[in-house]
Amino acid sequence: MAQSNPPFMSGVPELLLLRLLDQSEMYGYELVRSIRKATGEAISLGEGVIYPVLHSLERNGSLKSRRKAVAGRTRVYYSLTGKGRQRLQKLHSDWQRIQGGISTALEAPIHA
Amino acid sequence: MLDLDGLRKELIRCGIAPRHVRRTVSELSDHYDDLVEEALHDGASRIEAHAHASRKIGEIADIGAAVRARPELRSWAYRFPRVAAVVYPLTFVALLPAAPVFLGYAYGGYVIRWVACLMLSAIVTATMFLVLQLAITLT
Repeated sequence: MAQSNPPFMSGVPELLLLRLLDQSEMYGYELVRSIRKATGEAISLGEGVIYPVLHSLERNGSLKSRRKAVAGRTRVYYSLTGKGRQRLQKLHSDWQRIQGGISTALEAPIHA
Repeated sequence: MLDLDGLRKELIRCGIAPRHVRRTVSELSDHYDDLVEEALHDGASRIEAHAHASRKIGEIADIGAAVRARPELRSWAYRFPRVAAVVYPLTFVALLPAAPVFLGYAYGGYVIRWVACLMLSAIVTATMFLVLQLAITLT
């Protein structure tokens, strides 16, 4: 069974997908492989759950998709839109703020 | 094997828009095939490859839950049931008179054959009446 990630990972797949699609257009399977590679396998998704995230991002205008025939198979390629880039910047800054806050909390001495 | 049909039925039951259901199932199916191919390429047997693909893609229940957790993927009738309760009957009533036109368009070939048969039978009937009339007149 695919190892799932804890609930605090909510929003992380979206950030990673937007980040990867900012570089080039990709299809689902390619995206999952890229996430595995980019995170050094630290983030393990049940691979099927990326599709609702992709469809949702497409629906809110952050992504666009196109069908492309490759080796006898029709693949759905996703790419980032202008709105998606703005969303990526926002999520990125939110993530850095949270990460900074958690790092500070973990490194600071605890006073009872 | 992946129970995509089960997933499709569950998503439809939960009010996910049909186009999202179709796309989810189709993309998952392709993804599954890619995973099987990857495993076969790495030297796994066919059974191992399918087991690997199923493990990687995750539980169907989890995928279903992930889709259900996104209300924006639901059909508008499911999101706005009161609006749908008004719009659907009104649309139906408005379109009802146009139904023969739509059906005629959809089944154009049948309609043309039906009209041709009707005309042929009318001609045959008219000819029979004409012959009868002539026979009566001449006798």
